[in-house]
Amino acid sequence: MIMPLIKGLQITISHMFKKPVTLQYPTERPDVKPGFRGLHALNVSHDKAKCVACYLCPTVCPAKCITVEAGEDQNHDKYAAKYEIDMLRCIFCGYCVEACPVDAIRMTEQFELANYSRADFTYTKDRLLEKK
Amino acid sequence: MVNLTIDGKQVAVEKDATIYDAAKACGIKIPILCHDKKLHPFGGCRMCLVEVEQMKGRLIPACTTPVTEGMIVQTTTDEIVKARKLVLELLLLKHPIDCPVCDAAGDCDLQNLTYEYKVNMNRFVDEKFNHEIDYENPLIERDMNRCIHCGKCARICDEIVSYGAYTFINRGIEAKMGTEFDGPLNCEFCGSCVSVCPVGALNSRPFKFKARWWALQKTKSVCSYCGTGCQLTLGSKDGKVLTTIYDENQGFHNGQLCTRGRFGYQFVNSEKRLTAPLVRKNGKLQEATWEEALAEVTSRLSAGKSDPASVAALATARLTNEELFLFEKLFRGTVGTDNIDHSAGYAHEALTKGALASFGVAASPAEIADIQKSSQLLVVKSDAYETHPVIGFEINLGVKRKGVALRIVSDKKGKLTRLPGAKTTVHAPGSEVALFNALCKSVIDQGLAAEGVAGLDALKAAVADASAEKAGVTAEEIAAIAKEFASAEKGLIILPIGLGYPGHNAALANAAANLAILTGQVGKEGAGLLIMGEKNNSQGAVDMGIYPKATGLNAQGIIDGCTSGNIKTLFVAGENPVVSYPNRKKVEKALENVEFMVVSDLFLTETAALADVVLPACSFAEKSGTFTSLGRRVQNVRKAIPAIGLAKSDFEILNALSQSLGGARYNNQGEVFTEIAATVPAYKGLTQAGLKDEGAVYPVAVAAKLVPAAAKSAAPAAGKLALVTGSALYHCGTMSRFGEGPMYVCPDAYAELNVADAAALKIVEGDQVTVTSGTGAVLVAAKVGKRVPQGVVFSPYHFGEGSVNTITDGSEVTYVTVAKK
Ligand code: SF4
Ligand code: SF4
Ligand code: SF4
Ligand code: SF4
Ligand code: SF4
Ligand code: FES
Repeated sequence: MIMPLIKGLQITISHMFKKPVTLQYPTERPDVKPGFRGLHALNVSHDKAKCVACYLCPTVCPAKCITVEAGEDQNHDKYAAKYEIDMLRCIFCGYCVEACPVDAIRMTEQFELANYSRADFTYTKDRLLEKK
Repeated sequence: MVNLTIDGKQVAVEKDATIYDAAKACGIKIPILCHDKKLHPFGGCRMCLVEVEQMKGRLIPACTTPVTEGMIVQTTTDEIVKARKLVLELLLLKHPIDCPVCDAAGDCDLQNLTYEYKVNMNRFVDEKFNHEIDYENPLIERDMNRCIHCGKCARICDEIVSYGAYTFINRGIEAKMGTEFDGPLNCEFCGSCVSVCPVGALNSRPFKFKARWWALQKTKSVCSYCGTGCQLTLGSKDGKVLTTIYDENQGFHNGQLCTRGRFGYQFVNSEKRLTAPLVRKNGKLQEATWEEALAEVTSRLSAGKSDPASVAALATARLTNEELFLFEKLFRGTVGTDNIDHSAGYAHEALTKGALASFGVAASPAEIADIQKSSQLLVVKSDAYETHPVIGFEINLGVKRKGVALRIVSDKKGKLTRLPGAKTTVHAPGSEVALFNALCKSVIDQGLAAEGVAGLDALKAAVADASAEKAGVTAEEIAAIAKEFASAEKGLIILPIGLGYPGHNAALANAAANLAILTGQVGKEGAGLLIMGEKNNSQGAVDMGIYPKATGLNAQGIIDGCTSGNIKTLFVAGENPVVSYPNRKKVEKALENVEFMVVSDLFLTETAALADVVLPACSFAEKSGTFTSLGRRVQNVRKAIPAIGLAKSDFEILNALSQSLGGARYNNQGEVFTEIAATVPAYKGLTQAGLKDEGAVYPVAVAAKLVPAAAKSAAPAAGKLALVTGSALYHCGTMSRFGEGPMYVCPDAYAELNVADAAALKIVEGDQVTVTSGTGAVLVAAKVGKRVPQGVVFSPYHFGEGSVNTITDGSEVTYVTVAKK
């Protein structure tokens, strides 16, 4: 009866002298590993979003949280007139990144997505454009 | 039958089949790029290569090689796959491969085959094409960089559409699919080329970038413009109809559509759609609730029940059979009035009076399939192409593929008159009945009348004074037409009818029927008379009895009744009499005068603007039901999107009114069809489910009878031009004005003049001209050409601005003066 208790305490006491595994968030910041799938960003090249509104990411998205509407610019090229992700539904699977034929979308290390209202979870194109 | 073996499977096919057809018949898919079942074999792409035991040593194209007895065919060997991969590599060599921004992606034969054959890399390198892309055209975008030179666009435009807009230009690697002088495309805009293009070289501009093919919800339905009844597939997403999708297996026309069907769907989601009921308060139409609007209508109609003769109802032939049946039941039954009509009265008289008298049924004895089976076509007016373009394609095919002889009797020339071997007789405007009477007389005089035709003597007496001069044609020509039609093995008369053609009335139907009966052409396959109703459900409206049957007033009588005050309550379901009926001023006055008018429509039309209550109705894309096309084919219309705003279908509106007026109430439109099948004899035994995708042609028992038709003598007025109205190719009725497609290519009213008349009046193309008749004057743009003969002016009736009905009075021809503004 007493032996298991002592064994348990031994483990507890041994941990008191080890380095803690918990992080003192938010004062301490985690070291985000490569390949982490956080908030999306739309890549920019030549001052324009690379996205050509091919509709592949909304097609592949299992949570159906991406809305794309294509438009035609002055040069008759296709661009995303609307690009929106409903972050409340996103499951961070990264399929959109994989599907994109033009490397227009990636997932950043940004994981702090808490917010106050539902509307704040709708990430419009402006919010998603990568900040340089 | 020829027997052969394909991939070890035994198959027997017709002797004119190709290896490709034989493989298809036994369920083996051979990849194709340039082949199309509607077109002549081409053999340009070499994607369909197969191996034939008897022709070892080389690979054989399956799409052009006819089958022979005992052939042993392999469709997939390593060698074949290698060859097909090579074909794809070569095609991709100069191809831009911009699938992410190409609207064809997902529905692209090149993309699909590249994926299927795993062509991941290319052994060759070359520069890409750098052709200029045609962005200017509002309907068809041409990106020749993506073209794979399959030639399908040029072939369909030539073989079926008979327009011939494209041809290959330049040679070798420079070769490109080009237009006349490599200029902008200026054609009929039927979109046939866009629909057959296997890649994204030809795209529908109104649909550009709107959605991916796979994301569209596809609903098989029927075109809601003309009476041809083409089947189409609506592509919709998020409650919006975004495009029409081509399906080569749909309908008699194999998915072909005209410009209205292909590009005119935008009226469904137009910004201008009515989304809430309107009720007139203090002289102004104001938004109201359905309860309020319907209560007002109900109280007026129930008051009208005590004096049914003061109530009248007009319906458009665009409603479904179910709605029209309910309409008839509500007004003729519950309310008790016989003042029911559609389309100005005269526009369907050819069926309700003409065909009924001549054949004993208010329908044509012939059907659409008879066109290609015929040996001699006699088309009344070259306008048959403009009114029913896809019937025009059938005529083209009959003439070019089946060797059908074509004769056109018309007051102007047109596309049909340019077909190979087409013989055209241009007669004096308004003399159609006189012409047919002269033909009948000539048949009798030449001793060509079929034996034992009853009533021959009466007809003989009636046409005794008919003569070629009365129709403005030479006697020799009349004799020749009479002879060619009478001696034809299978002679078919094609007669379009509609609001623009007041002369195509009961008398003309009788006169044309007389010729068919007299020459023994009725009751045979490929022969007889085909009367082509203008609207998608013109035949259905006749079948459902939307015309006065006893002592009731017809549409013209109703308008007069409104003016005189005898009609106090008028219900208008979808009609737009102000624009489409003759004598606009008179109609406007009548409708302003009537005590109470209800209009249910998609838009606040010129007519709805005068109403006391306007009910927002649903378009064909928002409801289910059936339409009956001109060949008596009953077809299923299916709901593709939810109702726009608060709009209700006419079925819902009429059902609600019927219930509150103490009439029948139905749970859904399907119940109405069951009742139609039980009460309308022609529809006996039909069920909506049984109609399936292809629909059903209901049979008619024809009791042919000669009915003398009196020709009115139109006295030409000296110094005046003869104005004839009609349909423009891009429009149908007044609804196509709300479709962007038709409005891009034909936005405004015009008057078409002969070059000689124009020169005499110093008018050039595009001038604004005032056309004045005894009824009024209208300002339109002039179009100058050689299509209309000297002394004749043609003007389409669809438009609200420059509406030609301002100056017409319902007679066959209106005599006018034309002057430059
Ligand atoms: S897959 Fe890429 S290019 Fe296509 S819509 Fe998504 S982000 Fe844009
Ligand atoms: S035509 Fe086909 S293969 Fe070519 S870019 Fe378009 S989708 Fe891709
Ligand atoms: S739209 Fe019709 S008429 Fe014009 S080029 Fe294409 S097939 Fe020919
Ligand atoms: S435009 Fe299209 S249909 Fe015409 S040849 Fe090129 S690929 Fe074929
Ligand atoms: S308007 Fe007539 S011919 Fe044209 S697609 Fe529609 S039904 Fe067919
Ligand atoms: S499909 Fe046979 S050669 Fe093109």
